[in-house]
Amino acid sequence: MLPTPKLDFLPVLPELILAGAGIVTLLYEALAPRASRATHLGLSLVGLAAAAGASIALWDRTGDPTVLAGAIQADRLAVVARVIIISVAAVGLLLGTHYYDRSGDERRGEFYPLVLFATTGMTLIVAAADLIVVFLALEILSLSLYVLTGMSRRGQATEASMKYFLLGAFASAFFLYGVAMAYGATGTTKIAGIAHALAGQTGGQALALVALGFLAIGFGFKVSAVPFHMWTPDVYQGAPTPVTAFMAAATKVAAFGALIRVLDVSFQPLAWDWMPVIWALAAASVVVGSVLAIAQSDVKRMLAYSSIAHAGFVLTGLTAANQDGIRAALFYLIAYAMMTLGSFGVVMLVSVRGEERTSLASYSGLGRRQPLLAGLMALFMLSLAGIPPTAGFIAKVGVFGAAIRAGHWQLALVGVVSSVAAAFFYLRVVVLMYMQEPQGEEQEEDRSPLPRLALAVPAILTLVLGVFPQMLLGVLDKASVLRW
Amino acid sequence: MLRDYLPVVLLAALAVAFAVASMTASRLLGPNRPDPVKLSAYECGNEPIRLPKGEKFGVKFYVVAMLFIIFDIETIFLFPWAVTFRTLGLFGLVEMAIFIGLVFVAYVYVWKKGGLDWAEGQGPASVREARAAAEADLGEAARAR
Repeated sequence: MLPTPKLDFLPVLPELILAGAGIVTLLYEALAPRASRATHLGLSLVGLAAAAGASIALWDRTGDPTVLAGAIQADRLAVVARVIIISVAAVGLLLGTHYYDRSGDERRGEFYPLVLFATTGMTLIVAAADLIVVFLALEILSLSLYVLTGMSRRGQATEASMKYFLLGAFASAFFLYGVAMAYGATGTTKIAGIAHALAGQTGGQALALVALGFLAIGFGFKVSAVPFHMWTPDVYQGAPTPVTAFMAAATKVAAFGALIRVLDVSFQPLAWDWMPVIWALAAASVVVGSVLAIAQSDVKRMLAYSSIAHAGFVLTGLTAANQDGIRAALFYLIAYAMMTLGSFGVVMLVSVRGEERTSLASYSGLGRRQPLLAGLMALFMLSLAGIPPTAGFIAKVGVFGAAIRAGHWQLALVGVVSSVAAAFFYLRVVVLMYMQEPQGEEQEEDRSPLPRLALAVPAILTLVLGVFPQMLLGVLDKASVLRW
Repeated sequence: MLRDYLPVVLLAALAVAFAVASMTASRLLGPNRPDPVKLSAYECGNEPIRLPKGEKFGVKFYVVAMLFIIFDIETIFLFPWAVTFRTLGLFGLVEMAIFIGLVFVAYVYVWKKGGLDWAEGQGPASVREARAAAEADLGEAARAR
C-alpha cells in the first residue's frame, strides 16, 4: 500500500465550495428546462457566501501553514485575498444578472458557473504553496475568463476572447517554462522549498535568474504590467462590461497574491536581483498606462489603461521586498478592486443596451440626467486619481511610502508625477458629467435598483477606507506576515 | 548534472549528421536528369485539383474534437489507476470516483446542450429554439448588411 497523504481539507474548503457551487449551477443550467437567472443568482450567491465564511474561519487557524502535501498555504494572506476576490465575484454576478436580463433574449446561463469556476481558480492561486498548483489555478481562472470574455453577441467580444486566449496561452507557456527552470535550479517546485535551496547555494545563480525572468513574464501578463500589457485595452473594451468589471478587479488581486508569494518567499534570497526588474516594470507601467489613457476616447479603454497604471503602483509597493511593501500592496489591491469594480459597474449602467454608449461624450451632462450614477462615478474617478478622502489616496500614500522607506525614492517620484498626469483624464470625466450640457437625443435611461444596490458596496468601501484606513490596516498587518 | 544529457546530445548530433550526409551524398553522386513527369507533384497519382485552402468544413468537428480530448484524458487517467489499483487502495478508488463524477457532469452538460446531436433538428427543445433564434438573428444581420 502506498501511504495516503495526510488530508486536511479545511484549508481548501472555500475552493471546494466554490467548485461545488459551479457544478450545481452548471447542472441546473443543463437539466432545468427553463433555468431562470434569479435561481442561478441565488445558488451562486449562497455558494459565494459559504466560501467567504469558510475563508474567514481559516483566519485563526494555528499549526503548520503548509498543508495537503505542500500544495496549499493556509495563511492570512490567502484569507484576505480570498475574501476580496469572493466579494468582487458577488458584485460581478449581480451586475452580470442585470446585464443579461437587459440584453434581450439570450439565456447565457453559463455565466454563473464560469464566474464561479474563475473565482475558484483565483482563490486557489492565492493559497498555492507549489508552483504547479499556481499554474493549475492560473489555467482554471484563465480558461473560464477566455469564455466569459466572449459571452456576448457582438463580434468585438469574440475578437477580444480570441486575442486573450492566444496571448494568454503564450504567457502560460512562459510561466511553465519558468517553473521548469526553477525546478532545474533548485530541484523542487515548492514555493518555500525554492527559497531554502536558493539560500543554501553559493555558486552561479544563472538558472534561478532565468526562472525568475520567465515567471515574471507570466505574471506580468496576468497583472498587465508594461511591456506585457498589449492585450488589456482590447480585451477590457471587447468583453461584456460586467465581465470586465469582475476580470479587471479580481484577476489582478489573484495574480498579485501569487506574485507576492513567488517574489517574497521563493526568490527572497535573490531579492537584490529581482528588485531592479520589478522597479523597471513598475516605472514603465505607471508612465505608459497614465500617458496612453489620456489619449483614449472610449471610457472602457481609458479604464483599461488606467488599470495598467495601477498595476504599476502595486508593483511600486512590491519593490520594497518586505512586510511593509506587502501590506501597502494589499491595501492598494483592495482599494483598486473596489474602485475598478465600481467604475465599470457605472459604465455598464450608462451604456444602456448592447454597449453603444461607452464613448466619453456620452458622459456629458450625466450629472443632470442621472445624479446618483454621476455621483458614484465621480467618487470612483476621484479615488482612482488618488484624491483624498478616498481609498485611492491612502493606497497611493502607502505604496509610495513603502518604496521610499526601501530606498526607491526615484520610483516614488515617477509614480507621483504620473499620478498628476493621470488626474487629468479622471477629472475630465467628472468635468464632462457636471459642467457640460447633455448631448444627443434623450435615450431610455436604466433606473433599476438592483445594480445600484450592488454598487453601494464598492462605493461605501472606497469612502470608508479613505476616511478610516486604520480599520483595515490592523488586519493587513497580520495578513502581510508570510509564514513558511 | 548536465553531463547526463551528453548521450542525448550526441545522438541528436549523429542523427543530424547522418541526414545531412545522406542528402549531400545523393545530391553529389546521383545522376540528375529531370523531365516534366519527374518534376510533377508525385511521380505516380493525380495532380490535386482542389486545394483545401478555401474549403469549409463543419464547426461541429471542433465540438467533437473537444469532447474527444475530455474523454480521452479520462481513459488516460483510468489506465494507470487500474494497473496500480491494489496499491492505491480505498483512497485511490474514492479519488477516481470523484474524477469520473466530474467528467460525468461535463458529459451531462454536453448531452443536454445538444453537443452530441449531429443533425439539425435533433436534441432537446430548448436547444432547437435557441438555434432557431440564432439563425433568425444571423439572417437579420445579413439583411442589414
